[in-house]
Amino acid sequence: MNEFHGSRGEKESTKRSIMTQTETTAKKSVAAKVKAGSDVTVASEPKKAAKPAAKKKSGQAFPFTAIVGQEEMKLSLILNIIDPRIGGVLVMGHRGTGKSTTVRALAEVLPLIERVKDDTYNRTVDQFIEGEEAKKGQKAIDPTKLKTEKIPVPVVDLPLGATEDRVCGTIDIEQALTSGVKAFEPGLLAQANRGFLYIDEVNLLDDHLVDVLLDVAASGKNVVEREGISIRHPARFVLVGSGNPEEGELRPQLLDRFGLHARIITILDIAKRVDIVKRRREFDDDPDAFMKKYNREQLKLQKKIQTAKDLLPEVTMTDQVLTDIARLCMNLGIDGHRGELTITRTAFAHAAFLGQKEVTMKHVREIAGLCLRHRLRKDPLETLDAGEKIDRELAKVLGEAEAV
Amino acid sequence: MIAFTDIVGMDLAKQALMLLAVDSELGGVVIPSAVGSGKSTIARAFAGILPEGTPFVELPLNVTEDRLIGGVDLEATLATGTRVVQHGVLSKAHGGVLYVDSISLLDSSAVSHIMDAISRGEVLVEREGLSEVHPAKFMLVGTYDPSDGEVRMGLLDRIGIIVPFTAQNDYRARKKIVNTVLGKRDEEDTRDELNMLTGLIQAAKEQLPHVSITKEQVQALIQTALSLGVEGNRVDIFTVRAALASAALAQRSDVDEEDMKQAIKLVLIPRATRMPEREAEANDMPPEEEPPPPDEEQEAEDEEAKSDTPDSEAEEEQKETPDMIEELMMDAIEMELPDNILNISLASKKKTTTGSRGEALNNKRGRFVRAQPGEMRSGKVALIPTLISAAPWQETRRRDKKLSNRPKTALIITKDDVKIKRFRDKSGTLFIFMVDASGSMALNRMRQAKGAVASLLQNAYVHRDQVSLISFRGKQAQVLLPPSQSVDRAKRELDVLPTGGGTPLASALYLGWETAKQARTKGISQIMFVLITDGRGNIGLQATFDPNAEKISKEDLEKEIEALSLSIQSDGIASIVVDTQMNYLSRGEAPKLAQKLGGRYFYLPNAKAEQIVEAALSF
Repeated sequence: MNEFHGSRGEKESTKRSIMTQTETTAKKSVAAKVKAGSDVTVASEPKKAAKPAAKKKSGQAFPFTAIVGQEEMKLSLILNIIDPRIGGVLVMGHRGTGKSTTVRALAEVLPLIERVKDDTYNRTVDQFIEGEEAKKGQKAIDPTKLKTEKIPVPVVDLPLGATEDRVCGTIDIEQALTSGVKAFEPGLLAQANRGFLYIDEVNLLDDHLVDVLLDVAASGKNVVEREGISIRHPARFVLVGSGNPEEGELRPQLLDRFGLHARIITILDIAKRVDIVKRRREFDDDPDAFMKKYNREQLKLQKKIQTAKDLLPEVTMTDQVLTDIARLCMNLGIDGHRGELTITRTAFAHAAFLGQKEVTMKHVREIAGLCLRHRLRKDPLETLDAGEKIDRELAKVLGEAEAV
Repeated sequence: MIAFTDIVGMDLAKQALMLLAVDSELGGVVIPSAVGSGKSTIARAFAGILPEGTPFVELPLNVTEDRLIGGVDLEATLATGTRVVQHGVLSKAHGGVLYVDSISLLDSSAVSHIMDAISRGEVLVEREGLSEVHPAKFMLVGTYDPSDGEVRMGLLDRIGIIVPFTAQNDYRARKKIVNTVLGKRDEEDTRDELNMLTGLIQAAKEQLPHVSITKEQVQALIQTALSLGVEGNRVDIFTVRAALASAALAQRSDVDEEDMKQAIKLVLIPRATRMPEREAEANDMPPEEEPPPPDEEQEAEDEEAKSDTPDSEAEEEQKETPDMIEELMMDAIEMELPDNILNISLASKKKTTTGSRGEALNNKRGRFVRAQPGEMRSGKVALIPTLISAAPWQETRRRDKKLSNRPKTALIITKDDVKIKRFRDKSGTLFIFMVDASGSMALNRMRQAKGAVASLLQNAYVHRDQVSLISFRGKQAQVLLPPSQSVDRAKRELDVLPTGGGTPLASALYLGWETAKQARTKGISQIMFVLITDGRGNIGLQATFDPNAEKISKEDLEKEIEALSLSIQSDGIASIVVDTQMNYLSRGEAPKLAQKLGGRYFYLPNAKAEQIVEAALSF
């Protein structure tokens, strides 16, 4: 079994290194330049000002499995891969604890997805047909004629300085100048469709970008209207944010959007810290050798995630567990139903990750803090930690359940 | 320009820069220093000891986002018809030095971009239809005057070396500096010395890969970081690197004690949140004492976890290290640092008076950062960006039938083109709480103030408000919570509030005024003082600067307060005075104080936090 996956994995990893996220976007093809309106012609492949070689950065990411500690964050990310409907994760915590390193390492352990070949929006065949046929004057597309390809789940980095037009997409200025053609150039939201959108220092993001994100995250669609072009494309992504709470608070609506909230603190164990220093130095000295050393573990994790994804539809939950979850949320005074929903989904994913087919309260207990921490009413004078509070209520709920 | 070798004094800064020259992976050096102590001179001289051709880019404080990150060069793009990309300052510094003078005054979005570039080693340009990655691996050298405010912690965390702040007070050293500046030394000497130094650094660079550090030494460094309460794990890597670079400079192949001391001094101690000796719980606890570490429990847990592991070898090492560390650390601390490093930034604040620069910046209501699409009515129209954004479409629009029946104008501008100016304006209010922590009612007042701070911060996001808390007791006032929006931070910093002692009201007003001025330079224009006190000060301002100051008469005390109040009032700072004392004790000082400050007086015996907030917001 190992051998089989070893060879398959190798192929995958070579493919992975060739098809880095940024390169796939560099290959923006004719399909990406969307026809819009009758007076607009489809432009030929634009000559991009020679993309610098530095684009190939994902090869340099520190391996996910070599990251020491910070289990809460790692689990949150993995559960989101298993079920993207969990709604993303917010990682908040101390400086210098490997938040962004971990998220950026994620790309290497992600499974593959299938999309229509060279489609910038990463659409499946069905989505592609639905989207394209809705356009004026478009004839029916024969699904069997469409070529597909497998790509790694995209991880798109949204830097703080991004402008709105790059996030949502805009009209290609170069083509407008050279050929007077209006061609739409998809933005980061397009690239992130069906993948992860990562925002470091999310608590410092500009308000107008937060507005855009909230809007798109709620509807799953990105709509751009400019210069008489109207574009609408799917933009469903797992939102991953990280930051240090001391630098500023997150807008409440955005906070609520995140399914999970992982907390990350300075590691105080000396042995672990020595290990961190050792691994980091090893990686800096010879990244390739280091990657090789962890290749096996990376593939193992990747496979475990894929297995969990396959198992997920078979996982079940009894009504009793569901009732207990509802009671827990009620007792904690959590508004709305997003709390229950997130716990349920996350518990399913967690059970699947552990290879178990039935969700028990043990699973719930392990993820309840992640799901609810940020949904509790914030009381600055409260001395009890949010996690402890959740644990305490959970124990109460379980105690009742046992007594009955 | 003055050569690196000609600079007198600032030895620590020089050592720090040399370590950086040996190992650029240390990320950078931050040098806090008072005005006129030659901090920018030394930073610029640093360029002279780097290999020839190393970029040295100075970052202007008022840099706009597109200059910083890079973007489309619209002028060239329009002229040539192809997209021309302009690299930003961050990418121009690639492979060299990015120098920021007054780094503490850099606005927060610029700081964020710098942080991002450091952590990636490149800049992601996702702007104006452009998607590029520019390499941006640079050494950051930042200098600042601590009286201008502190550098953001997140940024400091990504910079390896922070030079401990020591004011250059020795007049003889100063004289020498002046002499160096005025009377130029023999140029040949200088050149020789410089050559020697660059040779030394080059040799150290070659030596660096051959230097080794033992596991025990790494453990000792980490243990030190832990006992100093340094946040994060990134710092370990910097400490180890600094020790290695120090050994390389001495042409050794093993790290020795001196190297470790150097690393502790330049990397760890400036980040300390607590001093290692913790037994000083006496009544006479100085007000500067930090709250006890919140993570003590966890530490204990970790200790337990460790003893569970059967690795006896590791245990033995554990036993061995503490002595060594203590010795190292004490040595390092004693060498050239002031008594209480935790108090440094505050100490420096008291020594310097803010110059005219702070005032000049006050008049600005935020700073133009960039133009962004928006409704014409919702802000100031940025004319040039609007025209530029309309320019490329002229040809297509003239052909567009819908637009061609419009009256003939030179330019066809649609509402899509309109760009409005975006200012970085923190339009919220900074509430500076000044809490009288002296006397018997102190605990009560503190609780009220804490509640009020918490309550204000609940809604801080919405209003963009910030809260700061100054407590005054004993000889002087102290900033317990610098201006902040963070509930978490307030919670942590206000965990333990020392009380009792005299009532240095004047010192509080002064510190509050300084805090207000700093906030103004960062774009916060509305400031409100919330004084929770009975208004009875009994310690003069002099005592704040000089512990041996003579007792001041009541009249002089009054005059001090009056003068300060006048300055505060004329700076447009609003004040309220909340008196929570029981009525029979009041002698009417609090209402008088309110009058002096041109503020309002609230008498709220046993006030609840919400009442104080209400009072603050009602004004």
